[in-house]
Amino acid sequence: MIRPIARTGACTVAALTIAASLAAQQPAPEFDPAAVERGQQLLSTECGFCHGANGRGGSSGPDLTRSALVQTDEGGKQIGEFVRAGRPDRGMPPFALTDAQVSDLATFLHSAIRANINRRAYRILDILVGDPKAGEVYFNGAGRCATCHSPERDLRAVGAKYDPPTLQNRMVLPRGSVTRPGTPAPPPHADRNAIRATVTAPGAEPVTGAIVRLTDFDIVVYDAASGQMRSWLRNGDAPTVVVSDPLQGHVDLLPKWTDTDMHNVTAYLASLK
Amino acid sequence: MVKTAAALLLATAASQAVPPLLDPSLLAKPPIDAWPTYHGDYSGRRYSTLKQITAGNVKSLALAWVYRLNTSRAGAIVGGEGPDTAPAGLAAPTIKSTPLMLHGVLYFSAPDHVWAIDARTGRESWHFAWKTRGGDHIGNRGVGVFGDWLFFLTPDSYFVSLDARTGKERWHREIANMKREYFTSNAPIVIGRNVIVGVGGDALDIPGYLESRDPENGEVVWRWNTTPRPGDPGADTWPDEYAMSSGGGMPWLPGTYDPDLNLYYIGTGNPQPVLTGQTRPGDNLYTCSIVAIRPDTGKMAWYYQVTPHDTHDWDAAQTPVLIDGVINGRPRKLVAQASRNGHFVLLDRTDGTHVLTSRMIDSANWTREINAKGQPIGDRAKDATVAGTLVSPDTNGATNWPPPSFSPDTGLFYVGTQEAYSIMYLTDTDPRPQGWAAAERGVGRVASALKAIDYQTGKVRWSRPLAKTATGSAGGAMGLLSTAGGLLFGNDGGGNFVAYDAATGKPLWHAGLGTNPTNGPQTFLLDGRQFIVVGAGDALYAFALQP
Repeated sequence: MIRPIARTGACTVAALTIAASLAAQQPAPEFDPAAVERGQQLLSTECGFCHGANGRGGSSGPDLTRSALVQTDEGGKQIGEFVRAGRPDRGMPPFALTDAQVSDLATFLHSAIRANINRRAYRILDILVGDPKAGEVYFNGAGRCATCHSPERDLRAVGAKYDPPTLQNRMVLPRGSVTRPGTPAPPPHADRNAIRATVTAPGAEPVTGAIVRLTDFDIVVYDAASGQMRSWLRNGDAPTVVVSDPLQGHVDLLPKWTDTDMHNVTAYLASLK
Repeated sequence: MVKTAAALLLATAASQAVPPLLDPSLLAKPPIDAWPTYHGDYSGRRYSTLKQITAGNVKSLALAWVYRLNTSRAGAIVGGEGPDTAPAGLAAPTIKSTPLMLHGVLYFSAPDHVWAIDARTGRESWHFAWKTRGGDHIGNRGVGVFGDWLFFLTPDSYFVSLDARTGKERWHREIANMKREYFTSNAPIVIGRNVIVGVGGDALDIPGYLESRDPENGEVVWRWNTTPRPGDPGADTWPDEYAMSSGGGMPWLPGTYDPDLNLYYIGTGNPQPVLTGQTRPGDNLYTCSIVAIRPDTGKMAWYYQVTPHDTHDWDAAQTPVLIDGVINGRPRKLVAQASRNGHFVLLDRTDGTHVLTSRMIDSANWTREINAKGQPIGDRAKDATVAGTLVSPDTNGATNWPPPSFSPDTGLFYVGTQEAYSIMYLTDTDPRPQGWAAAERGVGRVASALKAIDYQTGKVRWSRPLAKTATGSAGGAMGLLSTAGGLLFGNDGGGNFVAYDAATGKPLWHAGLGTNPTNGPQTFLLDGRQFIVVGAGDALYAFALQP
């Protein structure tokens, strides 16, 4: 539920990942934003000196978002009891907070903890730190990107088409298609960058199409022109199957990228608007 | 109390002259007409001496029965503390557990459910349904058994015991607090009177622990914390109490056991925060480690850290497989792990002495060096940054929890592997980042293969590429079973359950299940017939030779 990528061993399809992360960035209205705001203010003024302005611990007070008491608190009950009693032996005086203040404080802390938990909703920050000029040099030189791509043709205004993280991901490997939240992704074999296979059965004409599945036992390809699938059972080398990947250049580049080159080319492509 | 209950049990057993369901001596032997613990035996080899089904006759392997998971509470024995209706949005459960087989009955689980299935017919004997309060329902590895009692763990972190013959609940105990994002998915391992369970959860920065619980009443016998406390050995691998006491290291998978050395081996989870290490400089013991625990006391005998200071979610929880082998002409008691970080490690299991380390996949780009102790040392430049780092493997790792196999006949360690890239973006730039602290954007899976590793050299003897789709390679980490019949059961990543020639990797037989198997395959002899049982998604399949 919370971590479908990490331990399922399921195949990661770039298009689906992008769709999922876009969808996950619409936060569920779980906490009253006004209460969160009031709680944050209260924490900052009343608790921040010791516990830090965001509650993650400060000069003398522990991290409240990692506190077992806070994490297991029920709607402010335990937090309220604790704050009103204080902890004089550790130098924390009692705080005479109202019920409403306790509720706001608890709401802020629980929303902060929820934000830590919900990694699908983590917001990627400003990633455009690269040097566009160096990126252009790499594009036309070592990266050999210009072999297939041109800022005047296929990459015209590409910087306006995608948000920077999506642009960077698709620059590295543009598998699948980007879909808007709530829009179902088309099947991966319908994508123009799908990996392809040419299948030649004995005595038959070769058939080329996008790979739907290729195993030791069968091959299924999709012909975009007719919209139909074709399948063959495989027996050793028959029929012959020759795989070709339109993105082979991208795949070959994967082990060669330095992160600096990647950031530079992203900055260059982002500048094409 | 304990003595009285034990005496009662003995008296009951004596009066009915019914031996307990499990004779514990079975646990230390290769499984034949039973599968009494998660791995079949304690070794984690998942190797069977059965050879009714062989490379020569496997073509005649045919479906015996299918059991599709029944999750309805109607007709079930119902327990649990949650509401009467299951929470909305729970996906249909997937079988990740390896069923136990005792006296013709299979006992297995999925999150919130336990079933007893007739192993001859695949029909349900009983179904126990747990009313959940929540928690991560990502999976459940199975049940453990002591005498007539079953044990399992729930997503809302309860340790539950059932009467194996009837499915009726004996008791349940909360072993972790789900409000702190703990959940439990482990299969309990029973060693003597210790029912050993570990907790999971890495959404928040919380400490991990392994416990022994009393089979009689579920009370704690001992607890071993996976990270030290101030003053403990290993505390110097953390900067401060703040970091170590919230440092993760979840022991979320079942371990293995050497009865002669009386040591229980587990792999521990990743440190917290998961994808950034700035508040925890140091090796972060005992996260991402293979650890030997004395099962009677919970004291650690030795450790070996497979990934010092992990920053990519590559826990070392994968099965530590026990191999009685020969290295440089000398018999050695060994333990091997195909680790999520992309490396195969071999240790002496008496004291943890390093024997060898080798790379399992080509794409791994995160290591600076393999140090003198055989540990891959991370290139810190591959930690998540705001602008992103391109890393392979992705957080799934080169392999994952599905159980590998070792065949003493071939000397090969079998493991499913995957080569994927992701971009890791640091999203929490606070001086004290929390949780995962970074976002992962998947790039793609460029290769996947079933590999056979020569344990004596660490070299890949053969590698069989798995299925391809329009977007790259499919499958990877997979449950495996090797047999004295010269077979290796696994999958091809393309929805086929496959019998491979264990020596060469050549596929000899397959069944098109339409979905990849999701647990470790198993085998046993019942009424003189060798069964192969495997779970795929929400169905359990049994195969046997055509009579």
